[in-house]
Amino acid sequence: MNTTRNTFVFGLGVAIALLAGWVIFPRALYVRQNQPLAFHHKTHAEKSGFTECGQCHALRDDGTFGGIPSSDTCTSCHSERMGASHDEAVLVDNYVKTGQEVPWLVYARQPANVWFSHAIHVQRAGLACAECHSTYGQSDEVRIYEQNRISGYSRDIWGHSISRIRLGRHDGMKMDDCEDCHRRHHVQVGCLGCHQ
Amino acid sequence: MKITRRDLLVWGAGATAGLVFTPVPWKLLSDVSIWTQNWRWIPQPTHRPVDVKGSFCTLCPNGCGMRVRMVAGWPVGVAGVRSHPISRGALCPLGFAAHQLIWHPQRLRTVRHRGSASSWDEAHVAFAKACTEGPVVIVDGYPGHAASSLFEAFAEKQRGSYRVVSGPEAQALTPYETWSGVPAAALGYDLENVRTIVSFGAPLLDGWGTPGQFTRLWAERAVGSADPDLRLIQIEPSLSRTAARAWQRSAIHPGGETALAAGIARVLLEEQLVQARGPMPPLTLAQSAEQSGLSTDAIRDLARLIVGRPPVVAIASDDNPSIAALNVLLGAVGTRGGIVQKSKHAKSHLPAESELDSVRAVLIDSSVPGDFVPRTDAEVFRFAAWDGGSSKADWLLPAPGFLEELTDIPTAPTSAIETYAIASSLVKAPPGVQSAAQFLGRVDPDLTPVDKIIHTRCEALFRARAGTLCAQETTPVAMIPSVEKLEEQLRIGAVWMGEPQHPGGLRCKLSEWPQAPRSECPPCNSLGTWQAPVLPPLASKLYQESSLREGPERRNA
Repeated sequence: MNTTRNTFVFGLGVAIALLAGWVIFPRALYVRQNQPLAFHHKTHAEKSGFTECGQCHALRDDGTFGGIPSSDTCTSCHSERMGASHDEAVLVDNYVKTGQEVPWLVYARQPANVWFSHAIHVQRAGLACAECHSTYGQSDEVRIYEQNRISGYSRDIWGHSISRIRLGRHDGMKMDDCEDCHRRHHVQVGCLGCHQ
Repeated sequence: MKITRRDLLVWGAGATAGLVFTPVPWKLLSDVSIWTQNWRWIPQPTHRPVDVKGSFCTLCPNGCGMRVRMVAGWPVGVAGVRSHPISRGALCPLGFAAHQLIWHPQRLRTVRHRGSASSWDEAHVAFAKACTEGPVVIVDGYPGHAASSLFEAFAEKQRGSYRVVSGPEAQALTPYETWSGVPAAALGYDLENVRTIVSFGAPLLDGWGTPGQFTRLWAERAVGSADPDLRLIQIEPSLSRTAARAWQRSAIHPGGETALAAGIARVLLEEQLVQARGPMPPLTLAQSAEQSGLSTDAIRDLARLIVGRPPVVAIASDDNPSIAALNVLLGAVGTRGGIVQKSKHAKSHLPAESELDSVRAVLIDSSVPGDFVPRTDAEVFRFAAWDGGSSKADWLLPAPGFLEELTDIPTAPTSAIETYAIASSLVKAPPGVQSAAQFLGRVDPDLTPVDKIIHTRCEALFRARAGTLCAQETTPVAMIPSVEKLEEQLRIGAVWMGEPQHPGGLRCKLSEWPQAPRSECPPCNSLGTWQAPVLPPLASKLYQESSLREGPERRNA
């Protein structure tokens, strides 16, 4: 009787720990935040006729990556409100007319001790943007930004799955993922390649 | 059903066991480690556009070319410059991590007098008083740069003395100065044209000279070949990194270099393996063998091997005159691929290691290595950017650190070609920091300031219309329209490179084989391996934990 009871209680402990660790912990670990504006990549690509990511997310003349376009870029179309939505009003009134930058939450922002060159990866190695950023550039939804409560990093750095089982090459941007990609492409980079 | 204490314990054990099979411990470990990297007081660069500036490393006299990545006015990364004619894109681990030195916890920010806080005014008063009471010695670590001219002028006006502390590479050239009358600072190694190098313990592949120069030559002309175009024969007691990668290695007894050089010279003369006739070493071959630890046959084979592929040059790790005499015998002085005269303007200076008698005060520039200790009872004013534990300094004065001071970079000590560059001040020095040149300029306002000396040097280069300016493209100086344009290019990272000198102008007179004693100062610190005063975290990883450069204790083991 005692053995059965002990086994049941022990199993209950295991089950609760597994439930907490695999279901509750991942939800509790990340803070979910909305982007300041609802930006739709697909709509913008269709209306502007742009087909390449680099047409907006351009490399500068010196090879550095321009990142997210500044609010000046929005001005060419959004100098006045183009619709009646709340986000359109916020964009025009708070950012375009005031010249302030939209505080986008960057899903792929790397830590400060990492030096990553888009020019080397895109131009020299010929990697497609989707290799790291998935097909978000073709979607018509605004993803929720999930920030780790402890490290402060975006969830995209760790990857979608808490177990680090990757759903695709774009899933996860930790050093292991960089090393894995470099190994696949037979490119060796020492410590100083990224941690200069 | 009653819940017992045993139930709670069993439940806890089950929960703990279950937790191990969840990502909680591993994820928390990862996140907490990242959290510790992002504490508020750890400096973080802001997210701004990256600005890349050309500059030069000023942490040792070699002045390797650097590209400094700046964000919001702060350096966040350093990389080499391929267009630099000497360093050719390479940097040592310390140079790679030098941007972190700005935040180093041992950075000096206040004046210290015998361990207590003091002020610049008090230091000025004390130094001015010392100048009136007796001779003052200025000690410089990078002779030839603009501040050196200011130091020399000050010492001359005060009837004091200007001394220099040279690194081991420059020290190795001093015997030739004695025999030829040409200052050691005017000499260099023509490594581009040499085909056999006999290194007597010089760490050629481990940071010797301008770190990138020899490693690049080695990569291009030796790596992967059983019979390379560039042969490196390393003679060393321990299996150093250079010895392990050399084409041939001879393991000798510690301190056996002098005897082995004499033995090789005897074989060269007896078997007439060289054209030159020189004094016969006093040691017999058997004595050389006994003292060096090699057999007589091994010394004979080594001598034949050395002359097998000329041009040959022997490189010492210190000022050993026997190794210098071996070079004279090999015909490696004043010839292509050997020791050549690179400059006709360099001057000879008194070494700082000698006794400093009857001196009232010694002022030590921040360019002097931290382990240099002057042998004097005089009052010592020491400038340093970081407190590396320097002793024997009455006054410890905070100097500008990496990238915080405008300075020029004269020719590297081992280079065979003259170069000139300017390292601009890219970062504002913290308040309360002064260079030795600024300090002396306040004591004597008539001294020409460093920026004017640099401008005068640029004017001299422009007027001479010789040499080329190396940047992304190479431009002859004769094609540059104005001195302002020349100085502007130099200030943003270009390097002036002079014309190669004809090697034939250097002649050494050697009437007898030099005796063994070298410099009289016993374990003289400045002759040892150059060591950084402090290490930034990244360099500590690369340079100390991985022991990329051997410490003296291992080399002497």
